[in-house]
Amino acid sequence: MKINEPFVEKILTAFIREELSKFNYKKGILGLSGGLDSAVCAFLAAKALKPSNVIGLIIPYGETFSKDVKDAQEFSRLLKIKSRIIDISPVVDSYFSSYPTENKVLKGNKMARERMSILYDFSAREKALILGTSNKTELLLGYGTIHGDMACGINPLGDLYKTQIRQLAEYLGIPEKIRKKIPSAGLWIGQTDEDEIGLPYDEIDKILYQLVDKRTSKKDIIASGFKKETVEKIISLIKNSEFKRKLPPIPKMSSRSVGHDFLFPFDWDK
Amino acid sequence: MKVALAQISPRLGNVEKNFDLHLKYIEKAKKKNVDLLIFPELSLTGYTLKDLVAEVALSPDSSPIFDELKTASRDVSLVFGFVEEKEKGLFYNSAAFLSEGKIVHIHRKVFLPTYGIFEEGKFFAQGKNFHTFSTPYGKAGMMICRDFLHYGACYLLFAGGSDIIIVISAAPGRGIQGKEAYETSRMWESMGETISLFSTAFLIYCNRVGFEDGKHFAGGSFIYNPMGKMVAKAAYLDNEFLLHEINLNDIHDARKKWPFKRDDKPEIILEALKRIISKYED
Repeated sequence: MKINEPFVEKILTAFIREELSKFNYKKGILGLSGGLDSAVCAFLAAKALKPSNVIGLIIPYGETFSKDVKDAQEFSRLLKIKSRIIDISPVVDSYFSSYPTENKVLKGNKMARERMSILYDFSAREKALILGTSNKTELLLGYGTIHGDMACGINPLGDLYKTQIRQLAEYLGIPEKIRKKIPSAGLWIGQTDEDEIGLPYDEIDKILYQLVDKRTSKKDIIASGFKKETVEKIISLIKNSEFKRKLPPIPKMSSRSVGHDFLFPFDWDK
Repeated sequence: MKVALAQISPRLGNVEKNFDLHLKYIEKAKKKNVDLLIFPELSLTGYTLKDLVAEVALSPDSSPIFDELKTASRDVSLVFGFVEEKEKGLFYNSAAFLSEGKIVHIHRKVFLPTYGIFEEGKFFAQGKNFHTFSTPYGKAGMMICRDFLHYGACYLLFAGGSDIIIVISAAPGRGIQGKEAYETSRMWESMGETISLFSTAFLIYCNRVGFEDGKHFAGGSFIYNPMGKMVAKAAYLDNEFLLHEINLNDIHDARKKWPFKRDDKPEIILEALKRIISKYED
């Protein structure tokens, strides 16, 4: 589970640099929440591309998380990257005044997709590739909004567990204020990842590492001291979120079909 | 004998661009009076080809690119990787050895990894042999990437009398706990050390670098001498033109000290293998 931080930093900066150059981008853009993952991604991008080629969009809903907005602004000043604040509350409020709901998850998903929509718009305006900030823990548990925060051009942090990102962040010298924050999707006040998932990241990551990286059987993981209910819950979260990690199924009818046997690399002629 | 390894990152599916890249390195090698220049696996095409395999395939007998590379091999012997259409509609992951204007040998990859991130068996036909062949520098044998991790394949080149074993590779790295390299790099070095020492032959491993669809090729190309000592090593992850002068007399010295070659018993191995195979259950 422990990573060699300088080696990982080297890989990820090379990845960001090489992917952008393959697809003819000079600039990268990402949503800055004031939290850990987007801070680490912005840091790596600034190092890989030069700070002036990185755009951090801070996309709050009104004044709800003004402290995070301030942290994100401060951090982008520290990195010397460009940043801009865009408030999504007018758009989101206008929608929910027509289609009211008290369901926090519906509201949160809508906000995540508004942010996505703005990132894609600015990606085209600025000719900047969107850098995703979903980590391996979130991707495996499906703890993200499909076509919302999970949408991006490339996803540099997608093979690092949350605890590994914490380790990397400390090495990179990300300010303690950001590193020590309680992880939150920031969709409503008081929301925290660990409350919502119902387990602390340390424990989740240890189990995921055994299940996914080590291919340990459920039986052996339970025998090694983890609670049966916890392991089963994690397996069920993985199973029920596979749709978020795949393109939608297409009914195979012809002799060669997209998503089945029309098989070309992503980096085709790159 | 001057050997150079071109640890490059080919452009995926673009033979023309990669051919130009090869010519660039050939010029570089000529300037340095290199005898043998080695490129990685599928150096003319890139690795993650999928359905591009048919599109980028070459027939060595009729390809103008091969003609030009043959001409270039009058100045510097070449080893490179390409997709070969040998029989019509059958595509091989192949390695060519060109020297003195001619094709000296073509090796077709036998062990096609098809699991996890690898899907070669889905797109390539399987090679069927491991030859040792004569070159201006002595007897040589070639393997492609995964071939090298099967010690039976290494044994065949040893038994065939290879003085120089050349491995071309497109090995993606995995494992990020290590210091300056992917953990999987150690696996290749460990084979390099072992096979060079116990074959008392030079072992030259040329890997590639760069990303394809998120896979990160790990670099770290190397040369081991016939005593199992690493004598040249390229960077992990970065492009490099690794130049090293090897002393072919080392082969004599190693075999005087370690008579593994003299004492080998291929006929006993062969008979024992036959007995093992005859006991396979249906």
